[in-house]
Order: sequence, then structure tokens, then C-alpha cells
Amino acid sequence: MHFSSSARAADENFDYLFKIILIGDSNVGKTCVVQHFKSGVYTETQQNTIGVDFTVRSLDIDGKKVKMQVWDTAGQERFRTITQSYYRSAHAAIIAYDLTRRSTFESIPHWIHEIEKYGAANVVIMLIGNKCDLWEKRHVLFEDACTLAEKYGLLAVLETSAKESKNIEEVFVLMAKELIARNSLHLYGESALNGLPLDSSPVLMAQGPSEKTHCTC
Amino acid sequence: MNEEYDVIVLGTGLTECILSGIMSVNGKKVLHMDRNPYYGGESASITPLEDLYKRFKIPGSPPESMGRGRDWNVDLIPKFLMANGQLVKMLLYTEVTRYLDFKVTEGSFVYKGGKIYKVPSTEAEALASSLMGLFEKRRFRKFLVYVANFDEKDPRTFEGIDPKKTTMRDVYKKFDLGQDVIDFTGHALALYRTDDYLDQPCYETINRIKLYSESLARYGKSPYLYPLYGLGELPQGFARLSAIYGGTYMLNKPIEEIIVQNGKVIGVKSEGEIARCKQLICDPSYVKDRVEKVGQVIRVICILSHPIKNTNDANSCQIIIPQNQVNRKSDIYVCMISFAHNVAAQGKYIAIVSTTVETKEPEKEIRPALELLEPIEQKFVSISDLLVPKDLGTESQIFISRTYDATTHFETTCDDIKNIYKRMTGSEFDFEEMKRKKNDIYGED
Repeated sequence: MHFSSSARAADENFDYLFKIILIGDSNVGKTCVVQHFKSGVYTETQQNTIGVDFTVRSLDIDGKKVKMQVWDTAGQERFRTITQSYYRSAHAAIIAYDLTRRSTFESIPHWIHEIEKYGAANVVIMLIGNKCDLWEKRHVLFEDACTLAEKYGLLAVLETSAKESKNIEEVFVLMAKELIARNSLHLYGESALNGLPLDSSPVLMAQGPSEKTHCTC
Repeated sequence: MNEEYDVIVLGTGLTECILSGIMSVNGKKVLHMDRNPYYGGESASITPLEDLYKRFKIPGSPPESMGRGRDWNVDLIPKFLMANGQLVKMLLYTEVTRYLDFKVTEGSFVYKGGKIYKVPSTEAEALASSLMGLFEKRRFRKFLVYVANFDEKDPRTFEGIDPKKTTMRDVYKKFDLGQDVIDFTGHALALYRTDDYLDQPCYETINRIKLYSESLARYGKSPYLYPLYGLGELPQGFARLSAIYGGTYMLNKPIEEIIVQNGKVIGVKSEGEIARCKQLICDPSYVKDRVEKVGQVIRVICILSHPIKNTNDANSCQIIIPQNQVNRKSDIYVCMISFAHNVAAQGKYIAIVSTTVETKEPEKEIRPALELLEPIEQKFVSISDLLVPKDLGTESQIFISRTYDATTHFETTCDDIKNIYKRMTGSEFDFEEMKRKKNDIYGED
């Protein structure tokens, strides 16, 4: 009934199609992130998420056209009523927290648990700490986020600001590259699976030792 | 909570989720709650398997042979979607198809004389079938051509039959069809569960045969579709539609009271808080004093480690046991799906037997169906009341859905939705109203 969710679709006008779900507590800026990814524009007036199903954008990664289909929660995270089917068939998940609100960071294990419970076995998970433009109101240290990501074996942590166009593009490019890399491994057959670890260790996107304690953006 | 809504919906069954989606898409402020921690209510797919054992109070845990619990998504009600039916139309108009994948059911079979026969899906199969004799087939074909050409808006297609007056019994007589063909047509094509339709005007039966034929023509193998991961995906899909258009969802919400003043609903109390509303939609379990019982349905969920015999190793199928084959008033149905639909662990099949209860021993009534399925690894038996609202909700503005009946499709469910819609809005239901009102996919495509 609808187009295939297979990662590779050579017949169409792209090389890869990846479904990515965006999750996290309410009002951490998920919709701003996804809208910025699509258009590069920050919309100040955003209320609770209404009217966004998913967003599609193509990236060019090393000569490959990668179509990213980024799904939003439709506000169902507010009362923890996201449907199981939302998690199904996602290739990757981005968990967002608001680094000015510690409670949104404390929720991350809950969201990881949901992904493990309902998502596919090999979902790539990335963490983003949004609103880093509000550095003077920071309540979550980057080091804490890195520690948590390492503990759960997440791909990476990035601090972002949809408002100041910081690291939004990088999140999706990094995700796309990782998904392509994992997809490529399957092309070498079963022996590759035995010989090579599929899970990457976390890539910590620190900006440099001198900036670890706060973000200057 | 502690807010004002246009519509509050209680229960996340398919009927309620579709109505929630329609109301939200049309700009109503909707609050949708369910006392259960999962979506779907009585139309849910239960996962993991451990929860199914718990629900049916089977002692202990599922055995190792059942595989991983989360690979199971077990439907509580056995139904398929008719490929050209109303539910598919609703899915297409709302584009809830974005969230779902479907498979065509592999075949339909009919029970006769203790054996099952494939319901032909091609003319070649029909000619080869031993369900009826050769001369009977020719007359039957003539009848099917008549049905295919029948257009209730074009009297020239009637050929002497008055759709609003001529009984179906008389139509069969006109085409000189014998009892075997009549049974097959009425139960395997028009999907009637009893023979009451014979003495009714024929237009409904003709339209049901047309629906079957058109559904069959859509994909060719059988007239039925089934969603991967189980029927529980359907209410979830419509719930997401509602949420995208502003619907608020709360699960695990005990409903203490529906508050009525001067005979009209004004709100709902849950966990000490009150949400106010102009209208309420709910399933019967939330308003036990406002519904009445009109019958019962037995459903037996059977887990198998083998396809059903004589189905050509089908991964999915329907079997119809016409009522007169087993001296009953209503047909018995078997709906079978499997690991191929991501509803069971590898190598496992789920066959659900269902029928309207007629005696005090409903399990004995369905024995012929259970015998077709042996050996059965595990059975889950439920007997549910058929509940209907006592009034139309005109005064109270409480609109109650009906429980799911023993049919194996969703046509009656969609009729219920259309009926409730009309009572709530005063307007005739129009599929156009289900369309999304704005573009909610952003970016290229």
C-alpha cells in the first residue's frame, strides 16, 4: 500500500531511504529540530507538536543520495502514549533532551527502554541535548551525557541549537553515515557479521578540552 | 484534564479511534482515554505472549517452544479487511496507510460434508472445483455475470428483478440454482452467517456478492487483507492521525464517573480530576447501565505449529463452516494467520474460531472447527456479550459503540461508525470528511 521501507531502493531516485524517529520529553524542541533539518529555519511560535507527521529530506553522502524520513511524535509523548507501531521499522532513533531542564535528561533511560522494548534489535540510537544556545541556563553537563551514552552503547551525543543552527545538520549526517556503514556490512554476507562488531562505540563530539564545561554558542 | 473539550472518547478500540481521528481532523478538540495501558481495547493485539496467558488466566509462563514473547501479537477478535470494503476506504481517505503494511490472505475455504474446499478465486479454479456440478457451474456463472452487471442506479440492469421487493430466494429460483450453490453463494460470497437473508429483498445480498467479487479482483488471491503485526495496528494508526490533528491521548486512566447533568453529559472524572465536554463517545464497557445484551460470541484462539490440513500449507486463510453443515443457525468461522504476518514466533500459526453462541455449551458447538485444527498447542477461550446502546444519545450526547460481532470483516464496524457520526453531527457520513485538511508531510516527495 505504501512504498517499501527497505533501506536500499535502487529503482527509485535515491540510494537509501532511512526511517528515523525522534523521541524525548515534551517541549525539548524536537519539532524545531526536525523543522530546522528540513528548512534551516527556526520557528519561534511553536507550541506542542500538531500537524507534523514526518519530514523528508535528501542528503548527499559520499556520492550517495540518502533520503531521510524523520518522524515526529504527534505530541503523544506528553502522556507517554506513543504507539508501539511508531517504534516499529525505525532504522534509527534520536532521543532529545533539553539541557536547561535536568528532568528531560533523567527521562532518557525510559526512552531507551521503550526503543529496546518495541523497536527492532539493531536500532541506531543517538542523543541530542537541545537548546545549547541557552548556555547560561545549562543544567546538564556534556560529560554527564557522554557517560550515559557510553553506558548504553549509543552512537553519539551532540549538543544542538535549532535556534542558532548549531549541529542540526551534523546530527543527521552522522546518523546517515552510520546507517550506510551498517547497511554496507550486510553486503559482505554472514562472515562479516562474525568478524566485525556491528555496534560502534560512542563517538563523543566534544568541541575541545577547553570547552567541555559549557557551550559558547 | 481539568480542561474543556469538544469530544471526550473513552476506550481505544478501532471504532473509537476512527471516530477520534475523524473528529480531530475536522477541528474538534478531542481527549481520548483508556483504562488499559495499551491501545486497542477489545480489538487489540496482545503482546507479549506472557500478557495473553495472564489475560486468560493460564497458569505459569508460556513454554519455551513458543519462542520469544515479544514476537507475538495476538488478535482478540478474528477479522480480515475486505480489499474493497469500507475500512480500506477509510484507511485510504485518511492516509493511515502510511503507518501500516498489509498482506493478502492466501485463501478462503468452505466446509462441506466434513471436508474443506477452496473457494475458487479464478475461473479455472471454479471449473476445476468439485463444490458443484458442471451444469450447475454454467448457471452459477450466468448468475455471477448478472450480479457483476447489476447497477442499482440503472434499472436496465435489473432484468425483471425488483431489488427492493424480489426476495433472494426468488432470484436463486430465477437462475435455477440448486441448494449447494445457494449455500455457497449466501455464506462463502455474501458472507451471511444465517439463512435469514433468503426472504429479504435481494439488493443487499447482490451488493454483498459484488463487494466480495470486487475485493477478490483487487489482488487476485483472496478478497482479504491483513495488517502486519496484527489488527491492533489499526486503532494505533487512527490514534496517531487524531494526535497529529491535536487529539490528546491518555492510557492507564481509570474512569471514575461520567458526569451527567439534567440528562446531558458534561464531563468525565478520572483520578480526581474532571475534564468537561460537549459530547462523549465510548465503548459499552464504560457505560454498563446504558447498554443491553443482544447475544454472545464465542472466540477460541488456537496456537498451532502447523498449517491447517488441506489448505495447501497456507500461511493465512479463512474457513467458513456454513450453519447447515453442522445443524446450527449461524456459521462458524476460522481465521488463520501466522509468523508470516509478524504476529507469532517462527513456525507458529494462530487460528481463531468464532461464532454466535446458540446453546449453553458453546465450546461443544464449535467442535467441528476445532477438529480441523488438531493438534492444538494451546487454546484461549472467551465468550463475550454482544452489547448495543439502549438509546441513540440524542438527549445525553453519549454515543456508545457496539461490541464487535462474529463477522470476520469490518463492514458492520464501519456501519456503526457512520451511524454514530450521523447522530453526533446531524450530517450524513461522507468519506471526504476523513481527508487530512492540510499537508502534514514536510519536505520533498
